Amino acid sequence: MKAGNGGLLLLAVVLVVGSVLIGSRREGAEFAGSDGQAMEAVAAIQPDYRPWFGFIWEPPPEIASGLFALQAALGAGGLGYYLGFKRGQARGRRNRADAGD
Amino acid sequence: MHITEGFLPPLHAAAWTAVSLPFVVASAWRINRLMRDQPQIKLLLAASGAFAFVISALKLPSVTGSCSHATGTGLGAILFGPSVMALLGTIVLAFQALLLAHGGITTLGANVFSMAIVGPWVAYGLLRGARWLNAPLAASVFLAAMLGDLATYSATAGQLALAFPDPASGWVGSFIKFVGVFAPTQLPLAVVEGLLTVAIVNFLREYSGDELQILKFPSQTVAVEARS
Repeated sequence: MKAGNGGLLLLAVVLVVGSVLIGSRREGAEFAGSDGQAMEAVAAIQPDYRPWFGFIWEPPPEIASGLFALQAALGAGGLGYYLGFKRGQARGRRNRADAGD
Repeated sequence: MHITEGFLPPLHAAAWTAVSLPFVVASAWRINRLMRDQPQIKLLLAASGAFAFVISALKLPSVTGSCSHATGTGLGAILFGPSVMALLGTIVLAFQALLLAHGGITTLGANVFSMAIVGPWVAYGLLRGARWLNAPLAASVFLAAMLGDLATYSATAGQLALAFPDPASGWVGSFIKFVGVFAPTQLPLAVVEGLLTVAIVNFLREYSGDELQILKFPSQTVAVEARS
């Protein structure tokens, strides 16, 4: 199973890295968000539409990147805690079983 | 799949909020009951939420030279059932709407509907269907997570099409246009989400047999493997 997961993660990394390489060869590739592109499509369909509500608070760009990192860190931290905890638990169980022999 | 603040007309924004609200309330009720009846699975539930948190924060590049993010809601949906993800997804989206100017308060209902309701239900339905057809577990999980991700983006395209029908080709033409914006970017990312979800399920099957047994995932097969 471990080899299988290594392969899966490697494949995921290859896909992402490959995407950057292929994507950046396209002309005008700026890696803009597809959400933003969809809102541009709205403007193309209904040029007179004006958003009727604005952001309550918009973080300055530098702060925004930090908050995005915070979101990722909270998620990765929580997930990593669980994975590590379960591995340790399994090892503890194995060690106890060995000691009992 | 985040519809930006103010980008749905008031009537649409209110309607999607009204549609999503009962799902979120039911989700809170379900999570509450799950934690009370089976406190052993609390940690795994938190880990599933954490997975959605990290993966939806990462904007990943795509072959199209644009960038988007996966949703991460398939994992929790196939483990706990789709209804728990409504609340977890809402937490993620509210965090992004309030702190990151990503999505929005007026569009929260619509975004919750696509990411925290449609995606999880599609993923869950596909997993059940694939298991019923005796498909291998890894393939079933992969398809469920990947197509759940794509279903979320299709739902967003549908919501935008309903609000902004094309003057010439109507709702259908507009839907095709919005799908055309999302699909090419999202496809490789959905594959990545599928791969990661399979990797985590593999891990759980090796190390979390006790929790999977409580959740009866994936049906009867796990009880045997947990002991071996």
